[in-house]
Amino acid sequence: MKLRDNNHVVGYLFAAPFILGFLVFIVYPVLSSLYYSFTDYNLLESPNWVGFDNYNQMFTDDEKYMKSISVTFNYVFASVPLRLAFALGVAMLLNKAIAGIGFYRSAYYLPSLIGGSVAVSILWSQVFGDQGLVNSALGVIGIDTDTSWIGNPATALWTLIALSVWQFGSSMLIFLAGLKNIPKDYYEAASVDGANRVRQFFKITLPLLSPIILFNLIMQTISAFMTFTPAYIISRGEGGPLDNTLLYSLYLYKRAFVFYEMGYASAMAWVALIVIGIVTLLIFQTSRYWVHYESKGEK
Amino acid sequence: MKKALTSLVLLALVISIIGCGSNNNKEAASSAPAASSPSASAGEASPSATASESQDPVTLRVAWWGGQSRHDYTLKVIELYESLHPNVTIEPEYASFDDHWKKLAPNAAAGNLPDVIQMDISYLSQYGGRGQLEDLNSYTQNGLLDVSDVSEASLSGGKLGDNLFAINLGSNALLAVIDKAMLEKAGGTMPTENWTWEDFGKLGSVMKSDGKILTQDLRHDVFFPFYLRSKGQHMYAADGKSLGYTDDKPFIDFYNMYQSWYDEGSLLSLDKLAQKKGTPEDGELELGNAVSTWGWSNQYILSSSVAKRPFEILPVPGWNENKALFLKPSMYFSISKSSKVKEEAAKFISFWVNDIAANQIIMGERGVPVSAKVKEALKPSLTPDQAKVFDYVAWAEQNSSQMDPPNPVGAVEVDKLLKDTAEQILYKKLTVEEGAVKFREEANKILAKN
Repeated sequence: MKLRDNNHVVGYLFAAPFILGFLVFIVYPVLSSLYYSFTDYNLLESPNWVGFDNYNQMFTDDEKYMKSISVTFNYVFASVPLRLAFALGVAMLLNKAIAGIGFYRSAYYLPSLIGGSVAVSILWSQVFGDQGLVNSALGVIGIDTDTSWIGNPATALWTLIALSVWQFGSSMLIFLAGLKNIPKDYYEAASVDGANRVRQFFKITLPLLSPIILFNLIMQTISAFMTFTPAYIISRGEGGPLDNTLLYSLYLYKRAFVFYEMGYASAMAWVALIVIGIVTLLIFQTSRYWVHYESKGEK
Repeated sequence: MKKALTSLVLLALVISIIGCGSNNNKEAASSAPAASSPSASAGEASPSATASESQDPVTLRVAWWGGQSRHDYTLKVIELYESLHPNVTIEPEYASFDDHWKKLAPNAAAGNLPDVIQMDISYLSQYGGRGQLEDLNSYTQNGLLDVSDVSEASLSGGKLGDNLFAINLGSNALLAVIDKAMLEKAGGTMPTENWTWEDFGKLGSVMKSDGKILTQDLRHDVFFPFYLRSKGQHMYAADGKSLGYTDDKPFIDFYNMYQSWYDEGSLLSLDKLAQKKGTPEDGELELGNAVSTWGWSNQYILSSSVAKRPFEILPVPGWNENKALFLKPSMYFSISKSSKVKEEAAKFISFWVNDIAANQIIMGERGVPVSAKVKEALKPSLTPDQAKVFDYVAWAEQNSSQMDPPNPVGAVEVDKLLKDTAEQILYKKLTVEEGAVKFREEANKILAKN
């Protein structure tokens, strides 16, 4: 008995750095943001309790808030499927046994290494600017344009989506690992039965990969909801043109640090948490209809 | 039970991922240049400074915003100060305008504001009115902060009520910078100082024939309020609880005019404007694509030095109606209430305002010096461009009226709202009339919180 108690103490002792860090840097800030979300807090004066005013204003009296929600959903619904499809496509290419495959794998992963960084976002604004790479390339094939893709309300969000799709590396790696786990004999058996590549993809690859797709889908959806850096850098912190790149977290940041409305921003963060939780839950709920676990039969 | 466990794990997952996400945000937000601490060697210099001062080592944090050239010379002034006051070590904290304010607010919340803060008129009410700034009257009275050569008019720009929350560092006036050579090459003639907005608009077609534009843009939060002044109106009500006007006509007139310039292609298109960094190096006038740029007088010096060709200065149209022209403090220094070394901070500001050697480094880049003595002393060493600005501001002083009081709390949001509304008008999402109503109603809603 005594021995077991000692074991507990040692265990907690080893876990203490994490537990302390978790309490101080996660639990405490999370809880205080919950408190601030019910206050009017401008950072310069102490917070002022206002009950549900912030939440009320958000849903009844803030056009920009609604705009930022629609921008964010557009962004998530476009970028996540595209990114996953792209990642899967590249993973399948890289799953082939060809010479120098290691090099290709590293090369394709490279954009994700420099990933969500500030430098890439700055690069992006050069690529899609009025005198950027894209317009030069279009000029070569005879389409002369000097519009700025980033400054044009119709295309601005799509440049962000393209940036997100381009950073497909981490999902790709996970897909690649999943593909390697699919036994080769399934494909051999299928081709003996006369199934072509397309059929093999839909009947073997997709079902066996579906748990991994689910994992990637959830991770990517959550991170897409939280996208901040590219929108901040590319629109110079404005979310323009016409608020068309005003992603939720960018608007939250503006409320907090430009307009000094920490209470409102905290309330926004909590709404985001709940919405992301609901979306994640929905994905889990639907998963039973499309995710195939091989071990299911043994349950 | 299993379900509860799943949702718990899910919640933990979401929270931890959000935690990661917001960390990244912070990294991106604080990407402003890290302040480099000055060499500590100044503290070891021979203690030959004025003996009357206390020699206890003091660390002074000084924060300002600006571009690279301002950072460079400000650091030189700080070095000079440190060499004269060996016991003082100054920790500079500098950033761009936007990042400056993003850093200050959390600092204020933590009771950790820098000792000396470069202040802007649009934030003076927020920080001063909310008890973050020290009233400097006692320091000007006991002489630590010497303002004997500063006129009352210049000083009053830093006051909220009777409290002197900020010391004016230089006077600015609005102006138009015109590239006369470009204008005449296109077949236009240089307007006189009594020109009107119509005269300006007419230059549009002249410049277009030569493939040039009028200007990249006019800052909405600067030139619309100026236009209001010329119509005898004001942007903000005196109590700061609403806009200063109720009749939408000036808004409609101004933005009809603005839109007509935009539609005929005389202004930079919005998609290109969105990519401008806002530095002189990037300006359409400086690059030789536009015939004018509009702004504050202290910006003229950088413009002409970047473009390396001479420009002409004209007052903004409407300056002679209702005495619209005004002098504005280009920026201030304030002392934070939480500072523990307020006296040393006051001495530093006094040095900045009065020291001739320091101002020979500054050379009016923060506006025409407010000290009459410094202004006189600088005159012989001014470059022709700097002299032009000093002359213009002197002329403006004779032809101006009192500026509007510092912007009320919420003005930062109102300024953004004006810019958004103007963009919606230019993109034809709103008519000018709709924009006028929308702006007035929403701005009043923001200001009503005061």
